[in-house]
Amino acid sequence: MHNSSWKKILAGALTLALSFSAASCTQNNQGEGGEVYGGEAVVGITQEPMIFDPHTVEAAGDKEILFNVYEGLYKYDSTGTLNPCLATDVVISDDASQYTFTIREGVTFHDGSELDAGDVVYSLNRAAELMPELSFIENVTDNGDNTVTVTLATPNSEMLSYFTTAIIPEDSGDTIGETRIGTGPFVFTSYEAGIGIVLTRNENYWNPELPYLDQVTFKICADMDSGFLELQSGAIDIFPYLTTDKTAQLDPSQFDVLELGSNMVQGLFLNNAVAPFDDVRVRQAMNYAIDRDEIVSLIMDGAGLPLTTAMSPVMGEAYDTSLDGTYNQDIEQAQALLAEAGYADGFDMTITVPSNYLVHVNTAVALADQLSAVGINATIEQVDWATWLDRVYAGRDYESTVICLTSDYAPYDVINRYISTGDNNFINYSNPNVDEIITNLPLTLDEGERISMYRELLGYMTEDAASVYIQDPYSICAVNNRLTGYELYPMYVQDMSTVRLATAE
Amino acid sequence: MNPSANSKKYLIIGTALIAIVIAFFLIGLVWTPYGINSTDSASKFMAPCAEHIFGTDNLGRDVFSRCLAAARYTLLVSFAGVAVALALGTITGLLAGYFGGLLDKVIMVLSNSVMCFPGILLALVAVAVFGPSLYNVIWALGLVFAPTFARVYRSSTIELLGRDYILSAKVMKVNPIRIMFVHILPNLMSQILPAVIIGLANMTLFESGMSYLGLGVQPPAASYGKMLADAQSYMVTAPWLIIFPTLMLVCYILGLYFISEWVRTSMRGGSK
Amino acid sequence: MGSTVRSALIKICEFLLTALLVSFFTFVVFSIIPGDTARVMLGPNASEEQVQALREELGLDAPLATRYISWLGDAAKGDFGKSISFGQPVGELIASRLPVTLGMSLIALIFVLVISFPMAAFCSRNPGDLTDKTLSTAGHILFAIPPFALSMMLILLFSKCFHIFAAGRYTAPSANFGAYLVSLLLPSFCIALPKIAMTFKFLRASMIEYSRGDFVRTAKSHGLSDLRIMLRHIIPNSAVSSVTVISLVLSDILGGSLIVEQVFNLPGLGRLLLSAISRRDFPLLSGIVFYLAMITVLLYFLSDVISAMIDPRIRDGRAST
Repeated sequence: MHNSSWKKILAGALTLALSFSAASCTQNNQGEGGEVYGGEAVVGITQEPMIFDPHTVEAAGDKEILFNVYEGLYKYDSTGTLNPCLATDVVISDDASQYTFTIREGVTFHDGSELDAGDVVYSLNRAAELMPELSFIENVTDNGDNTVTVTLATPNSEMLSYFTTAIIPEDSGDTIGETRIGTGPFVFTSYEAGIGIVLTRNENYWNPELPYLDQVTFKICADMDSGFLELQSGAIDIFPYLTTDKTAQLDPSQFDVLELGSNMVQGLFLNNAVAPFDDVRVRQAMNYAIDRDEIVSLIMDGAGLPLTTAMSPVMGEAYDTSLDGTYNQDIEQAQALLAEAGYADGFDMTITVPSNYLVHVNTAVALADQLSAVGINATIEQVDWATWLDRVYAGRDYESTVICLTSDYAPYDVINRYISTGDNNFINYSNPNVDEIITNLPLTLDEGERISMYRELLGYMTEDAASVYIQDPYSICAVNNRLTGYELYPMYVQDMSTVRLATAE
Repeated sequence: MNPSANSKKYLIIGTALIAIVIAFFLIGLVWTPYGINSTDSASKFMAPCAEHIFGTDNLGRDVFSRCLAAARYTLLVSFAGVAVALALGTITGLLAGYFGGLLDKVIMVLSNSVMCFPGILLALVAVAVFGPSLYNVIWALGLVFAPTFARVYRSSTIELLGRDYILSAKVMKVNPIRIMFVHILPNLMSQILPAVIIGLANMTLFESGMSYLGLGVQPPAASYGKMLADAQSYMVTAPWLIIFPTLMLVCYILGLYFISEWVRTSMRGGSK
Repeated sequence: MGSTVRSALIKICEFLLTALLVSFFTFVVFSIIPGDTARVMLGPNASEEQVQALREELGLDAPLATRYISWLGDAAKGDFGKSISFGQPVGELIASRLPVTLGMSLIALIFVLVISFPMAAFCSRNPGDLTDKTLSTAGHILFAIPPFALSMMLILLFSKCFHIFAAGRYTAPSANFGAYLVSLLLPSFCIALPKIAMTFKFLRASMIEYSRGDFVRTAKSHGLSDLRIMLRHIIPNSAVSSVTVISLVLSDILGGSLIVEQVFNLPGLGRLLLSAISRRDFPLLSGIVFYLAMITVLLYFLSDVISAMIDPRIRDGRAST
């Protein structure tokens, strides 16, 4: 059991010690493989961080930073594989209703207290209460032999990815947003509004080889343009979410540029409940009317994966490759479908776009140009992000919108928003077959069967032309080559633990 | 140095500069070499050349065609905005200056409050209530700029009130509205014109600032200010995206400015 | 004496009324525009329950009118409350951004004064000669370039061609005061340039007028040197009459700094204002708007007082704003 006042003193002492060691540690040490330890890195971010409680955080921009601070029982690596982290292994019962984790020994929190089963039970219970996606957890029991058993409300064999949720010290829930104590490779040292976040090396990290850097700063930039200038000037070392026209300006002898499909789904989302988009033929016609390759090369300089349906191919087996090319541009087909639906002369429509996302605004401009070829006259309406969230996303008061949907790296998380009763089903999509599959998926234990169910579902959605899916934009990141070891993840993560100086400075 | 020759020079240069913008505006109404909004991935970021004399932008659109088309929005926003501001400012400023007292206090406190209030917020409201269209933004801009005119009118009216012809008009019980609009207003032209010119310039700048927030001219349409705001991302690789709209704006503002100089000097000459 | 106190009291009442009106506008705006803080903080993937829970946690479930009235009550006591989305006291947040905005405004003002006075003095000696014409034309052109186009061009020039400036390299004054000043130089210059043109034009005209005045002729007949006349008589006289212009310039500078810090990526008040709007953070926005209004009103007030002191016409008339 932990005593909170002691913890505060300890945390204070630790921060002091760390900042002292960071200040005094100017000399870089070399690891056994010749890797350099020590040094600092600055990562550019364009969103103001907001929430640091790992169980209430939602913004991708917050999560990607906290990945370095908090850890779960399991943890993704850059290939999208789940690896044991604070647990050393898991045993799933035959009926898939119980998961038993063995807790890793010798792990300490940033405040110096040792990780035990009590922390895990507390954290999972808290997460189950606060995070709707973890509400499947019925109870968590401490078996007393350093293992913890989680019982699910309904059997589900595909839940391991949800156990990446953060483990925090027992009873620290009320203060975790301020203390930010986890077990991760970096300690959360400071946050200054509008300026940035400073993380320092966790000297007692359970994996003694990591991390390499002494300090990582996430620096807030007003926008990509100003951040990019800072990258070029050397004020920022790592800048994720760049565009190709930016990276083309970089000196290749000074920067490494990394690209990867990001498991995001950008599309022209159509409100299926509003005329004329309630007619499947109109939606199909619009799918035929546009040229995805042209948009990808126009907006992304080719740095995107054209999509025909609601899931990105980076999701692996759940994606059905036979759907590729279903909606290749075919103007005649589009016109025929429009005529059939009674819109031979086209119609007027409005695309509502969030003005803070230049990519979406530009995509809307390109779409409007392409749609005009089949007589569809699209007007663009820009709204600010808060308005978009309120009116378009939560209020569903719109005709069409261009946006990128993000999800956890789990196929179920990608598609479960399309259940007709779903909170997040902002396009008002409704298909009883799809509803049934989404309901049955978690109950299905056989891996192969689940994959065929995903594919069947994508088939329905493609046939229905739920919306005009456009692309999975590549995540592009530039890294100053004074650093090495940075890895892109197919999800929103900035893993700093493997980043190190290329040569001792 | 002959002052009237000098002021003629202002008129000639000013008219020539404005003529360029007007020519762009008129040509843009009837003809553009390429589609204003036709995108093409094959011709992105082309530097000025024979086919595209002003180059092309990030979506492969011809900048010259867009400059021709943008003139109408820049002219519309600035003139309509100033017209709204001038109308509001004239009425409130004259009233405040002429009647003074409590009315003056109320009007000045109100106009100070509007002046202190961030214009961007006002534009956001207009857009939230009426939807993001150019016309709503013009109203918002007009309201934001009205107090500037009101202040000029007010202080000049107070100055004029001491003049004999106003005093005698007052004694003869001429209708105050008649005094304001027939006797005072025409005499304020020399003070108001520079304010109008500056207002036109500021309006143009403010509009381009608002397009950062997605207010104002909605894409794919463009004003010069909006073209500039959009070009910020590419200023290093495609400087022509900044240079040509800036040149157009400079032509426009400088032209107006010279004409106002001419008006001012010839007015002063006439009164002597 | 009594009338001075009385007019000062009236001024203060007017100021309070303005502040109240401005904050009321902010409230009206907020009740009209869509969007709420909890939704923005949680992003699109959050469920309705999560958003509602955060709303309650932040105290956003009470109607805006109730929150506004309690905010007003606290503000009257000098407490502007806590920002909803940053979780920090509004006063602290504003104070942390002041070094940028005020620093930039001050440096810009210095640029304006240091450049426009000598330029005007120089030109007014022989109005109409080549230097005067060149400088005047340059002034016209500078005035016509939009500040942010100018900023972009200067960034381009300085960072690409001369490699002596890096955008976004802001140093806090507490860390290194010298570096802090250097990081603000170029942005301040961008704000100052159009204002230099404006002040120069005004000063030049007023200096020409003064140099034709009787006292200058008298001084000349007493054998005073041109330089002495310029320094002792013409410059001080035009400085007094330029107070109004300079106070206007100063409030323009403040407004300009809000735009320029965006282009230069400096953590100033303007960016704080924009993030308060985009996050629908009512206490923070009210606080900033109130603060900016206070400064603007103060500037106008000062300019009114000073010009009333100088100009008898306005002094004897209704010298009030």
